[in-house]
Amino acid sequence: MNGFGKHIRSLREDLSKDSKEFSVRRVAIRIKVEPAFLSKVEREVVPPPSEGKIIALAEVLGADQDVLLAMAGKVSSDLLKVIKDRPVLFAELIRKLKAEPDHAVLRVVREVKDGEW
Amino acid sequence: MVNGKGKVMIYLDDDSLEIRFPELHQNAGVRINFKRTLRLPDNGETYHLPPALGNFPLRHIEDFDLGENEHLKKRGGIILPMFQADALWLDFESINETGEEDYPFAVKIGTGKICAVSGDDWITGLNRDPQDYVVVPDQPWIDGYNVAEDIVKQFVAAPLGQGYTVEEQLKSGTTTGGIQIQVFPMKREFYDKLNKPILVDCFSVADNSLSVTSFDMGIAAGGSMHQEIYKDPYSFNAWDLRQTERCFVTIANAGQWIDYTGEEPPLSPIGAHEYTSAGLPWFKYYGGDQETIDGAKKLGKIKTIKEIKPKSGANFWTDSSPVPNPKVVQLGRREVNIGEW
Repeated sequence: MNGFGKHIRSLREDLSKDSKEFSVRRVAIRIKVEPAFLSKVEREVVPPPSEGKIIALAEVLGADQDVLLAMAGKVSSDLLKVIKDRPVLFAELIRKLKAEPDHAVLRVVREVKDGEW
Repeated sequence: MVNGKGKVMIYLDDDSLEIRFPELHQNAGVRINFKRTLRLPDNGETYHLPPALGNFPLRHIEDFDLGENEHLKKRGGIILPMFQADALWLDFESINETGEEDYPFAVKIGTGKICAVSGDDWITGLNRDPQDYVVVPDQPWIDGYNVAEDIVKQFVAAPLGQGYTVEEQLKSGTTTGGIQIQVFPMKREFYDKLNKPILVDCFSVADNSLSVTSFDMGIAAGGSMHQEIYKDPYSFNAWDLRQTERCFVTIANAGQWIDYTGEEPPLSPIGAHEYTSAGLPWFKYYGGDQETIDGAKKLGKIKTIKEIKPKSGANFWTDSSPVPNPKVVQLGRREVNIGEW
């Protein structure tokens, strides 16, 4: 397994120290799966759930959905669509950025934020 | 950011601020550099253009823990370091990818939310009369406040709260500090006409703000130099007021910059006297037959740092010696003689 289940369990257990809302049962209900299934996901007895359930988990646990999807070996469908629309361009871009440090990648995509002034 | 019509990109590329409107045109982009330069003496002389001595470093403000100034992140934008009495000018560079005409922009510049061209309080939008913006690429740079026709007073960093800065002279209440930039592109249909060999008639003639306690650095007026602010040559209707991007530039003093970023700020440049004595050139820009605008009445009355009696302590201004016979190099729209070869 890839650590997805352990990561989810760790996030959930940290949150459950302060709130009963983060028990296996309550989280399972919120993402609309059986508690036993979520327990198996956390123990990595079964593979990670679907994209929709992972996004729901990210929302409940306050985690980054792209990080969780990547840990589950998945790419979100909106990103897949972006790549499928211009496959050559994005394949070239991603390969080019592969070896670049984070700050170089950020330079490509990061915008200056505006605020209130 | 997506506003009135399309996607706008605003980002840092090395130490330049780049603003692009890719859905308008490939060339619809402008690069703004914050240039370090010599501080002019404030001795009654009007100087030529001082040199560029590299770019000030620019960083995203939200990347750093600002301590007691953390609330300033609400303004967004970028942060740059200046020593007290450092001088700065803004360099405007067109981003041209196709080799066609450079894409025109109306660019507003404010310091402490006072317009550096008109002297008016900052508003979102453009004002034609008095003109409160410059037109890029016709205006390649701006070095200071538009105090009189062909004369600007240099942008110089000064501490807030002592009465030095232009905003403290022209308005009362809470200080804002920093530099404000807002960019409006030309409408695409007007740009397309620019690329045609013969121009058509349309070119015949041409806040819900948040006041917060500021960082302790702002911009004040320094010595005088010759610089023309060009009149907008286009019709006011040429500007796309629905698409705009803006940026707040917070100025950190050298100590704050080191604390926040862990980086050393660039050292203050050498003095104007030393620079000139070394035989290095000053510059004169020839902008062709472009019409210029008058100096802003409100800015004509501002005092320079040297003329201010601070609320506490002694005035920090020290003038360098007069500049001895500067060598002046002409820049700009001169015809190049290709010659025979």
